[in-house]
Amino acid sequence: MSGALDAAVVGLGLYTAFHPDLEAFRKGEVSAEPQLPGGRFLDARTRRRASTLTRAMADAYAEAMAASGLDPASIASVFGSALGEAGTMLSLLDQMFRTHEPVSPMRFVTSVHNTASGLISISGKNRGFTTSLGADFDTPAMSILEALGLIHADRVPAIVCCAEEGAPEDLVPEEYHWALLAGAIALVHPEEAPPGSMRLRLMGMGPDESAASNKDLLEPPEISLALSKSPVVGILDLLVALAEGREGRIRLDRGKGRGFIAELFRGD
Amino acid sequence: MNHPPKSITAFSLANGLGCGRDAVEEALFAGRTGLVTPPLALPFETFVGAIPGKLPELPPSIADYRTRTAQIASLLVSEIAPELRRARERYAPHRIAVLLGTSTAGAEATESAFKHYVAAGSLPDDYDVFKHHTYGAVLHVFRELSGARGPSFMVSTACTSSAKPLATASRLLDAGVIDAALVGGVDTLCEMTLMGFHSLDALSNERAKPFSSERRGLNIGEGGALLLVERSGDAMALLEGVGESSDAYHISAPHPEGLGAKLAMERALAFAGVEPSEVDHINAHGTGTQLNDKAESRAIVDLFGREIPVISTKGYTGHTLGAAGATEAIFSIMTLLRGEIPASLFAGPVDPAVEARIVLENERSAPRRVLSNSFAFGGNNISVCLRAV
Repeated sequence: MSGALDAAVVGLGLYTAFHPDLEAFRKGEVSAEPQLPGGRFLDARTRRRASTLTRAMADAYAEAMAASGLDPASIASVFGSALGEAGTMLSLLDQMFRTHEPVSPMRFVTSVHNTASGLISISGKNRGFTTSLGADFDTPAMSILEALGLIHADRVPAIVCCAEEGAPEDLVPEEYHWALLAGAIALVHPEEAPPGSMRLRLMGMGPDESAASNKDLLEPPEISLALSKSPVVGILDLLVALAEGREGRIRLDRGKGRGFIAELFRGD
Repeated sequence: MNHPPKSITAFSLANGLGCGRDAVEEALFAGRTGLVTPPLALPFETFVGAIPGKLPELPPSIADYRTRTAQIASLLVSEIAPELRRARERYAPHRIAVLLGTSTAGAEATESAFKHYVAAGSLPDDYDVFKHHTYGAVLHVFRELSGARGPSFMVSTACTSSAKPLATASRLLDAGVIDAALVGGVDTLCEMTLMGFHSLDALSNERAKPFSSERRGLNIGEGGALLLVERSGDAMALLEGVGESSDAYHISAPHPEGLGAKLAMERALAFAGVEPSEVDHINAHGTGTQLNDKAESRAIVDLFGREIPVISTKGYTGHTLGAAGATEAIFSIMTLLRGEIPASLFAGPVDPAVEARIVLENERSAPRRVLSNSFAFGGNNISVCLRAV
């Protein structure tokens, strides 16, 4: 594509309720019972305020940051989620309209979409760039685009962390009920890439390119139905392909978004 | 990478001051407030900015996406329809991005649906979370109305939400990914937001008085604002630079010395390649809370000294949250176009702890360069540098 941007991958991280990290997922080590995320990147004080979504993001973020060796106090951080802190929002609505309790100030403050972005920047003592965005099933692709813009225009390393908590069952029809999932990818400019590192290029930005890109796509991994329904499942598919060193094109939305694709290849 | 200024070739807005550019500009420079008693039933007194009048209906092709947010989108897009048509003729539609911000998205529609759920045990038949609540729903409406087919996403960083897309647009233009972007934000009034800010003791029971010694907090406002940003073109103003930072301090309180605010302003200046002395005016975040106004004033004085004219426009519109950044960027452009700085409404008597020079009456000082600040929960800060053509 004209203006296609690429970046080198230097760290990966994953959290699901049955897999505490990417290594466990790749080895097929499945917890017997679903586990709550620990919020590893968060300090004790901020962890107390963190929702399940924020903790899951913090776990995936911690794993990718540790693998990357990048500075947590300066990395540009892009957090993506379609519904964000929907669970916290629903609990506020419940307080207001069902139980008629006073609204909890802390719950209100942590109901904003950028709660994870804020708490992780506080824990990481990061005064650099952080953002939070959503685009339904295109959230992984658009989060990567935001990171690529930062990497190329501002020449900074960036981390993309996409997550969705379990579908809020009061709001979302049963056909969409998805499971908790968080994934993170640390990226640097190609000129700063370690030798032989995997590269990622975002595709599917134009009509001709979308049609061409849809041929010969890499197969996504086999996962549970509940994970496959997540609006951010594209980040899991991408993480697995990158971890396995697969080259080719992979769709970032499992068919429910606008058709953005990542092209994966190994650098020099 | 080189960061040439970007052309802002069109804009539209709606808020408590009125619907559309002319109505809002007339009220702003006439010193009228748009703060009124809330149209919602609340168990406390406050004032809000509410868009007056009836909003347009959506075209039939997207009628099932109808929410107040979508109707505001329709109003905004229709006001710049000729410029959008020209942009679509100049660029391929997939090279025009839709980069927006919101804090509420469809929360107002979801509140209504939730009330129905509590009363009837089920959501309303016509409620669809992917058409009435999510960011994707709002984005779909903007794409369909504007004809833009490029990358699109919704930034949601609370009160910086609609300023940050200006930075994204600038980066994606510099990186050659897009040729133009529809940038802005929309937020509607909803009970959850009002009750939430009330729980924090942050709402004023009077009209908001940013920087005043009599300030008692903020008012919430509804609003939407849209800018067309292009690589080049017949500009109304130039987007010169954007600086972003994090406080890394507290989830809801600003750094007491305005450290993150100062960093954002410094980065905006560095991006634009200008010195503090080359900035003529600052449209402050200026919410009217004790903490924000003091910290922001300190950061401004540290960087620019005490003489630069500073205003908050939240006495006119209330704090439009996810729409505030884009709204106030447009107010800054209006200031550049008119050569006139509007008064910081209700700021007098200025708090002695606010050291910055707050403008109490309109000033015809012909500013050439303006900074517009927005700060948010999470310690998220942004400063936008705009220049006259």
